[in-house]
Amino acid sequence: MKIMPCPLNGPRNISEFVHGGEVRDMPNPTTCSDKEWAEYVFYSDNQAGVVTEWWLHAASGYWFIAERHTVTDEIIRTYDPSEIFKARVEFSAESTAQEVSA
Amino acid sequence: MSAITPESFSKRSFVYRQLSDAEFSEVAGAAQAADMKNGHSQALKAGILDLSVLPRTGFRGLNAASHLQAADLPVPAKPNQASVTDNGELVLRLSQKEFWVLGAVADLGAGVDAVNQRGLPEKDCYALYNQDSHAWLTLTGAHLPAIMAKVCGVDLRAEAFPVGSIAQTPAARINVVVVHHQINEIPCFSMLCDSAAAEYLWVSLLDAMAEFGGEVIGSNALS
Amino acid sequence: MSHATRLKAPMGLLIDRTKPVSFKFDGKSYQGFQGDSIASALAGCGRWLLSRSFKYHRPRGPLTMAGQDANTLIQLNKEPNVLADRELVANGLDVQGQNYNGSLDGDRDAILGHFSRFMPVGFYYRSFFKPLGAWDKWEGFIRKKAGLGVLDLDFQPEYYDKAYLFHDVVVVGSGPAGLSAALKAANAGASVLLVEEQPILGGSLTYNRFDVEGEQADQLREDLLASVEQHANIEVLTSAACNGWFADNYLPVIQGKRMYKVRAKECIVASGSFEQHVVFRNNDLPGIMMSSAATRLMKHYAVKPGNRAVVLTGNDDGYLTALELLDQGIEVAAVVDMRNAAESDAIASAVKARGVEVLTGHTVYEAIPTRGNKHVRAVDVRRITAKGEVASQSQRFDCDLLCMSAGYMPVYQLLCQAGGQLKYDDTAAEFSLSKLPKNLRIAGSVNGVHGLSEVLHDGERAAIEALHTLGLANGEVAVEVNCKRRVNFDWPIFSHPKGKDFVDYDEDLQAKDIVNATRLGYRDVQLVKRFSTVGMGPSQGRHSALPTARLVADATDRTVTETGVTTARPPFSPEKLAHVAGRIFDPYRRTAMHHRHKELGAKMMPAGNWQRPAFYGKPEERDACMHAEAEHVRNKVGVIDVSTLGGIELRGPDAAEFMNRIYTFAFLKQPVGKTRYAVLTNEHGVVIDDGVSCRLADEHFYVTATTSGVERVYREMMKWNAQWRLDVDITNVTSAFAAVNLAGPDSRKVLEKLATDIDLSPEGFPYLAYREGHVAGIPARLLRVGFVGELGYEIHVPSRFGEALWDVLQEAGKEFDIRPFGVETQRLLRLEKGHIIVSQDTDGMSHPGELSLEWAISRKKPFFVGRRSVDIVMAQPQTRKLVGFTLPKGTKKPEEGHLVLSSSDSSADITGNVTSCEYSPSVGSIIGLAYVGIKQIEVGSQFPIRVDGGDVVQATVVDLPFFDPDNARQAL
Repeated sequence: MKIMPCPLNGPRNISEFVHGGEVRDMPNPTTCSDKEWAEYVFYSDNQAGVVTEWWLHAASGYWFIAERHTVTDEIIRTYDPSEIFKARVEFSAESTAQEVSA
Repeated sequence: MSAITPESFSKRSFVYRQLSDAEFSEVAGAAQAADMKNGHSQALKAGILDLSVLPRTGFRGLNAASHLQAADLPVPAKPNQASVTDNGELVLRLSQKEFWVLGAVADLGAGVDAVNQRGLPEKDCYALYNQDSHAWLTLTGAHLPAIMAKVCGVDLRAEAFPVGSIAQTPAARINVVVVHHQINEIPCFSMLCDSAAAEYLWVSLLDAMAEFGGEVIGSNALS
Repeated sequence: MSHATRLKAPMGLLIDRTKPVSFKFDGKSYQGFQGDSIASALAGCGRWLLSRSFKYHRPRGPLTMAGQDANTLIQLNKEPNVLADRELVANGLDVQGQNYNGSLDGDRDAILGHFSRFMPVGFYYRSFFKPLGAWDKWEGFIRKKAGLGVLDLDFQPEYYDKAYLFHDVVVVGSGPAGLSAALKAANAGASVLLVEEQPILGGSLTYNRFDVEGEQADQLREDLLASVEQHANIEVLTSAACNGWFADNYLPVIQGKRMYKVRAKECIVASGSFEQHVVFRNNDLPGIMMSSAATRLMKHYAVKPGNRAVVLTGNDDGYLTALELLDQGIEVAAVVDMRNAAESDAIASAVKARGVEVLTGHTVYEAIPTRGNKHVRAVDVRRITAKGEVASQSQRFDCDLLCMSAGYMPVYQLLCQAGGQLKYDDTAAEFSLSKLPKNLRIAGSVNGVHGLSEVLHDGERAAIEALHTLGLANGEVAVEVNCKRRVNFDWPIFSHPKGKDFVDYDEDLQAKDIVNATRLGYRDVQLVKRFSTVGMGPSQGRHSALPTARLVADATDRTVTETGVTTARPPFSPEKLAHVAGRIFDPYRRTAMHHRHKELGAKMMPAGNWQRPAFYGKPEERDACMHAEAEHVRNKVGVIDVSTLGGIELRGPDAAEFMNRIYTFAFLKQPVGKTRYAVLTNEHGVVIDDGVSCRLADEHFYVTATTSGVERVYREMMKWNAQWRLDVDITNVTSAFAAVNLAGPDSRKVLEKLATDIDLSPEGFPYLAYREGHVAGIPARLLRVGFVGELGYEIHVPSRFGEALWDVLQEAGKEFDIRPFGVETQRLLRLEKGHIIVSQDTDGMSHPGELSLEWAISRKKPFFVGRRSVDIVMAQPQTRKLVGFTLPKGTKKPEEGHLVLSSSDSSADITGNVTSCEYSPSVGSIIGLAYVGIKQIEVGSQFPIRVDGGDVVQATVVDLPFFDPDNARQAL
């Protein structure tokens, strides 16, 4: 069984982890076209080469990012998501004044 | 039969039905198995012990470490390390900002109660529910890595997993936190698992221990 | 009883002559010694015929004496297909032969051999593939003839298990290369696991002769073992098979009833090589065996392999075998060397000096059998004139033993599993391995190194390389070992016009079968395998791969490297399902109240890995129990354990913002002390979970999730916030809380007795409110919910209080005739209210519009997960919708999954399916939920459902809910 080096827990059997799909940029959901959104939701590049993926260490509930080569299955690097996601994400605010408060 | 039974309290261990032969004593308003037919020598050989009713607590957030320091608890330097207080509490660091404190057998967890009495910092420190979300089962004795190797894919031999180490990993296919520590020089692997799966893990561990002569022990077997 | 006569010590390494053992084979009694394999004990008694071959039922005897061939497959009472040269004898063991009709000695099916020319390669495939249906007619007959062994259907399962083993270095194989590698690594401080397939360490040192005097092997083995067995850093597993190589040196090693899952930082495979047979007519007769089998018989078991031997060889090892035979008092009629000269004059001279006739450039062309092909009687020896061709003049040597050695094939299986590639060297006529993954190394004869001192050096070389990656090499440099010894004869294949020149013993495949396969167009070795079945038998090509590669290469004008061998896959040797299936972990979760349910006679059902009460009563009284429980909730008071419900806590300044982004509804202004329905869609806009959000404080939410969905919801939340970086703490508190739903008109009265610090009046604690307080002194969170459509309270308490909560409710409820109800009853009650269960009434396509959940979606907020997809989908014309339907009592009840049709025509389209359906005593008819086509949603209209047996029933669309349309009861 393959070994995955977890940034928090060290090298572990890959069966301890859950694959979370590729790291992808979400297009602006309020301004992008339907096509752009559909491509974001449904399309995958499936490229032969190094991909950046989400992985979860299930036992510690820890999400991290792995760079993996899809041909050799070599895991090149793993790191905390804060390396990529450094700042708070905001979504463009529309009016929330009419929100129900029942 | 002892006068104290688990059902005389409204707080109950998740595995108390596995302890029908035990003499119970009161710990933190619940019944803990104090004596079984096997005592200290069994603890040295291969024992399994239910410490689920012993107080424990946990904190998460950017201020969790300072909250523990303010309570004079030794904060482990890195995630997946445990430190022990003079009194016998275990302080577990599970991530950069998550800590669990496990009560000492000797003072029936009074030290943890004291920690819980302290007010939380105003922000960035959240109390965890590990007294209820997790059960606390402890394996003792001379064969801990070999027993665990039957249920767990992490190398827990002393070279790789010395006293003070923590592993967050599946054991018998459920997630556990394994801590290597000692009580009165008895080697211990304490395991904190989903409380709903405690009976399952208990049975699985007893099965894994059988070839090493493993038996259920009570807390008095540790002294 | 046949008695054993054995050679003198030091022959017989494995047996204890002081402990005789009696057992039965094919009904007759035999005697062996403790440590004997079944095959060696039988051979010791002069019994050579062990089995009948698969296709032609030819008599077969020991071939390798190492568990590497299928000739020794026998039947034990409880177990078929046991290797007789592996399985130890035991007192009272009852052993049977396999695959014969009548008796093993007089197999009536042996006549099949005479029909072999009518059963060419691919016979079954070609004969029964067409016409369609032919296979059905023939299958029974063929299966009867084809199967091997008998299963014991009364077999009781035994305890098999698994365990991990962790080491710095694992060494597979304990021959001279493995021993020296293990020692070198262990001496440098690495922890080493040494895995040996045989019962003793030493590999070829235990049976092979390396020098004229025959002293070197024993002395060396003694020295090496003395160091290895004492070594604190070496753990030894004998009688243990390493059956596979998986990524990052993860190796299954089977020993006895346990499978070890070995994880090593470095792996050194010193698996040695398989001695190869020579292809000539009747090369399968009992008495014809590998040279190593003869020496194993002598050295391991002190069994005389024959009285008069001929040695057929393609290397110098054959000469050494002859010397060993001579030393043990066996007459050697001739050494037949296929080469033109021996490599070592000294070795050849030593044999000649003992008066043995040596014929170089010769081969055995045909073996002459005794009656019924029971044993070899003589060999026909001829001069080799060209590749695979012989002269017409023959010389005949009488013999009862023929030892053969055409050379060696590296034990490549593990290495090819690891991605290693085989390359054929035409000069050495040998395969070698390359392109191994890092941290996997090979040493010894598997690495093409054959001289004993070179082998020892090669083991050390591999160990030093491993030590370098472990950081333990101490500056020592690994030096490549160069071995010039040639051990393979390049064309040990002598086809005979009358055939029976076996390439593959397991499958009874002859040289012409392989060649014919290529002529039929199967040029690729993988296709040759599938067509001819070569290599598919129990020995998995250990002896057939090399001659097949050579034959296919020759017949297709390619190199042997180009031809290659078929893919090696785990397991390396046959393993029992018990080894894979033994002690499998199947976790279950129990609520704090679990044992109370059992005590009350609950019929339990799985919900994910939880166990939940379906209803209380006998399984066969399901409907009656359910209806009684439901009526009780409608009229009095019931209690159900809902501890399995997921629970997630969100705390922090951004808790409300986070809720707002995750769930479809609006949560920023949810008042403290109120609950709100929470629907979760994924990025595709599909509804994937729902629950109830409770606002405990401005910065504190407690939100429930479905039993099966909570883990996924929690993970998704964690993943989203790893990106959004909101200031919120997310905790999965599912197991931290036990919970019940106390429901029914009398529920308030029960609770009033227990919850004295909460105002339970309808005004003080209205529908959809959230309160905290104590229930019989137990700290509790209370939610007024309406899932089952009655006045009701969900009571959540820390789970260690769960059982006590159950007890006090039962006690307090006694005077109101409280009764527990199960999950099936709850499903009926909620169905009466038209409440959906996500994953039962939804599927992978269900968007909120199909579920009429538009009211639970806030369009006023900028974002929620799935928002954009929901917008896009809802803007399209809808195709289906979930509706409520009824059927009159007594109609054939539709089941979940039954199809909704567009019309009652036989050609009707499928427009949807039933998701929930039960008979409702409160409504008095069958009620259900179903997806129907968008044209079928009108209330009062009918739509057809195809039920069991193909019948079609007409359901009527009705408004939801079915029961208490004004929802008055839950709001009391």
